[in-house]
Amino acid sequence: MTEAPAVRPGSAARWFPNAEWILLLLLGAEGAAFGVFGDHFLTAANGFEVVRLAAEVGLLAFGLTPVIKAGGIDLSVGSMMGLAAVVLGGAWSSLGLPLWLAAAFALAVGAAGGAFHGLLITRLRVPPLIATLGTYSLYRGIAEAVTGGYGSTSGFPAWFLDLGQGYLGGVVPVQLPIVAAVFIALWVMLHRATIGREITAIGFSPEGARFAGIRTARATVRVYATCGTCAALAGILYVSRIGQAKADAGLGYELTAIAAVVLGGTSITGGRGTLQGTLLGLLCLVVLQDGLRLSGQPGEIAGLCAGLVLLLAIMLNQSWSRARRASQVEGLRNPDPKSPGKFKMKNSQIAVLVAAILAGALLIAGSNWWLVRSLGRAPAGPVPPARRITVAMTPKTVTDPYFVTCREGAAEAARELGVDLLWDGPEYADPAIQNEIVDGWITKGVDVVAASLVNPKAISSVLRKAQEHGISVVTWDSDAETDARAFFVNQATAAGIGSTLSDEGARLAGGRGQYAIITATLTDTNQNEWIRAIEERMAAAHPAMELATIHPCDGQRDKAMTEARNIIRAYPGVRVLIAICSPAVPGAAEALKQEDNRRVMLTGLSTPNLCRSYVHDGWVGSIVLWNTRDLGYLTVYAAAAVRDGRLKRGDSAFAAGRLGTLRVEGDQILLGKPFVFNRANIDDFRF
Amino acid sequence: MRAARRELALVAAIAVVGLLPLFGVPGFYRAGNLRNLAIDNLPVLVAGIGMTVVIISAEIDISIGSLFAVCGALSGLAAKAGWPMPLVALATLAAGAVIGAANGLLVARARVPAIIATLATMAILRNAIIRATGGAWIQDLPAGFQWFGLPQAVAQPVYLGAAAALFLAAAWALRHTAAGRSFYAVGCDHEAARRIGLAPGRVVLAAFTIMGALAGAAALLNFTRYPTIETNAGVGLELQVIAAVVVGGAAVTGGRGTLLGTLLGVILLGMIGTVFTFLHVNPAWGKAIQGAIILAAVVSDTAFGKRERDD
Repeated sequence: MTEAPAVRPGSAARWFPNAEWILLLLLGAEGAAFGVFGDHFLTAANGFEVVRLAAEVGLLAFGLTPVIKAGGIDLSVGSMMGLAAVVLGGAWSSLGLPLWLAAAFALAVGAAGGAFHGLLITRLRVPPLIATLGTYSLYRGIAEAVTGGYGSTSGFPAWFLDLGQGYLGGVVPVQLPIVAAVFIALWVMLHRATIGREITAIGFSPEGARFAGIRTARATVRVYATCGTCAALAGILYVSRIGQAKADAGLGYELTAIAAVVLGGTSITGGRGTLQGTLLGLLCLVVLQDGLRLSGQPGEIAGLCAGLVLLLAIMLNQSWSRARRASQVEGLRNPDPKSPGKFKMKNSQIAVLVAAILAGALLIAGSNWWLVRSLGRAPAGPVPPARRITVAMTPKTVTDPYFVTCREGAAEAARELGVDLLWDGPEYADPAIQNEIVDGWITKGVDVVAASLVNPKAISSVLRKAQEHGISVVTWDSDAETDARAFFVNQATAAGIGSTLSDEGARLAGGRGQYAIITATLTDTNQNEWIRAIEERMAAAHPAMELATIHPCDGQRDKAMTEARNIIRAYPGVRVLIAICSPAVPGAAEALKQEDNRRVMLTGLSTPNLCRSYVHDGWVGSIVLWNTRDLGYLTVYAAAAVRDGRLKRGDSAFAAGRLGTLRVEGDQILLGKPFVFNRANIDDFRF
Repeated sequence: MRAARRELALVAAIAVVGLLPLFGVPGFYRAGNLRNLAIDNLPVLVAGIGMTVVIISAEIDISIGSLFAVCGALSGLAAKAGWPMPLVALATLAAGAVIGAANGLLVARARVPAIIATLATMAILRNAIIRATGGAWIQDLPAGFQWFGLPQAVAQPVYLGAAAALFLAAAWALRHTAAGRSFYAVGCDHEAARRIGLAPGRVVLAAFTIMGALAGAAALLNFTRYPTIETNAGVGLELQVIAAVVVGGAAVTGGRGTLLGTLLGVILLGMIGTVFTFLHVNPAWGKAIQGAIILAAVVSDTAFGKRERDD
């Protein structure tokens, strides 16, 4: 480089060699837009909240940057979080190690898991994508296998929980210094140490690097081991934020982390990339998510916009680097010092394009925002002139038909009462996402949070925080710890569901024989409570019934059908299937129908609409459920009444619109008993 | 004969896994069970054909799970609107092809690396369908939707036959036609392919379009098994399909892979779950076993490959 006509590249080019400054513009635009649309977006508290949201995905993304820069990929980082969480919990509670030692052990497992990738890739020449696709299943699989999926550890000491939930000096989240330290260490490694240059060389050309005397195998193993350690650390932080160590930690995080890295300008083919770029990419994604949440947008809009932003930022980056390379070639052919002029023009074009993209993303968000507002206000009935209250309601997942019907009821009540209803939840029952959603609502400043908890341990802490901020909290469908909410809208207890389901199952089976359970996932908290309740009731009331097996269907009808068919063939003694997630009942019913099997009976937890034809044709003996539409309706009524002070502790009755007067017991509002739908009564219900 | 070696290794692995049910509950080898296994895995096989073409061309498509759900929902909407079933099928394939072509344009024209482009479209399509349906299923479909209105006993063999015909045609075309070989040429070396007169951009675009149409076909084969449509289906399908294809010997670096290998990969990964159910293995071990088998299949092959290289 010394012979080049020593024009030292400008600071922008040195710090952002891959046009990462595009992201700065994007970030600025996001900040400006959400400052207008979002509630309390431009506040220091929200700034720190963003840091907290970014911590775990950030650790994964920082660890992945050297891997991707070296031309590799690691799809297993999310699974490694789950494995590290389980190792931490197991080493602490089962082996009785001190917690810091257990954490060190989990980090060591992370390093070993990462090094294992390195060995597969360098010794056995397995392509990184395939090696880590295999360990993506393997690591999560080991975590599920040793815990049976449902086993979890909680009751961690306060100092450990503070890692994920506490604030230094009352303001700065404890994660910030940890993540910052990792960032600095990796930055030095990637940009100021020998191994950083080696990584760059390997990324551009592994063979070339080897011929240049770099010990590529050693460097590769180190890079993957670092990535695994970062993933394990992310798993530990996840455990301390949620307060529970379980096999489902970090499910699906790998794709967000990879998106942050490539958005940050790191070339997926290797060689190019900076850690500060990754940081910017990460912030762009997290701020987008946080800002849309504070603007009252549901999660799927954030997902849509993230996809668009990723696509367009990469397209811009590609065209910019192509233009730059072309002008460099030009410069070599015709060394004219005036040529940088071209860059400036390109830069302005890019700025225009960035603005266009952002306008597109905001158009989606804005039109949606307008739509929601206009729909909410259209039926201008007897709207009180006072400030409308905002009820923020979160289901366990937004994609489950069960909650889709709850939402219909909630929207109905919101129209009647003239309240603004926000509805957002995880796509798949992920406690961390629900935690973040509620946290976002605290910052936004809603009036009431009504939550159906993915996991009581994981969400109760954030509900308490909401109460501290003066937000009323009610729970519905799935309760929190009792001090974390004012009222629980109780449709049925786990014991009630379990005993009704097992009574139905035993009745259909004629009181004896084996039964099998099809559940959502093996890690699902509620389903596991119901399974325990079913087993207890069976043992107590139907001793001739014996549990054959429990199979997960991942909340997917396709898999439920396959599993049901396999069970009835592989367990000939099974007389009745109990399917306890709403897509599983129609899936299992279709299996029985296609097998033309009238011997095995089916009952479960699902909505009448999904099962109606199967109930009529006799493939489903009965389904057990309460009126989910009414549950959503009642929840909004209760939420509004708690806020107005019309519903207080000690009341014994509560009038809820078309439902009439309902009984209140202590801090629970009772919707009624679980209902058994069968051929005789199912047509009376349309939800 | 390096490729044949992977296929032999897979046949051996299938034989080993296939012997296990002899130690479990009888009934695995009943015709009905094998038919169920085949029908359940048809969507993976059909999508796997497309994925093989894409991977041979040195690209990848991780949006197919979302695309699968979108195609399924569109087929349901078309059927509900009263379209005749052949038209519904055509429209579904066309919708898949159009979205696949959009992926192809992003990769071939806008030069966005395939893994990023399809990561983005995966998020966009999945969130769009959640937005559009709110998670609700599509119900009250016309009676002619399930099995295209055929009786089940007729429809299942027809589906198997159609998939077999598609597979044989694709295998023949990929091996023996100039168009088929062009995917290998582009996957091996873009520049070399360009110099012999191919247009790599168009070949990549074609690969993604085929992938999209076949994801639509997979959606048809899957969703017409039911009288209703689950709009949240296909989560994780992309990883299942990619795993089957790479276990089948296709190189993610492009230029190498056969449809026979993909078929064997689909069979091996597709039978594991059912075999272990018949052995009464605790399902909590399912994921770990699957991961171990993927790694074992891939490592055994590279171990062979390495020995050949050392010879």
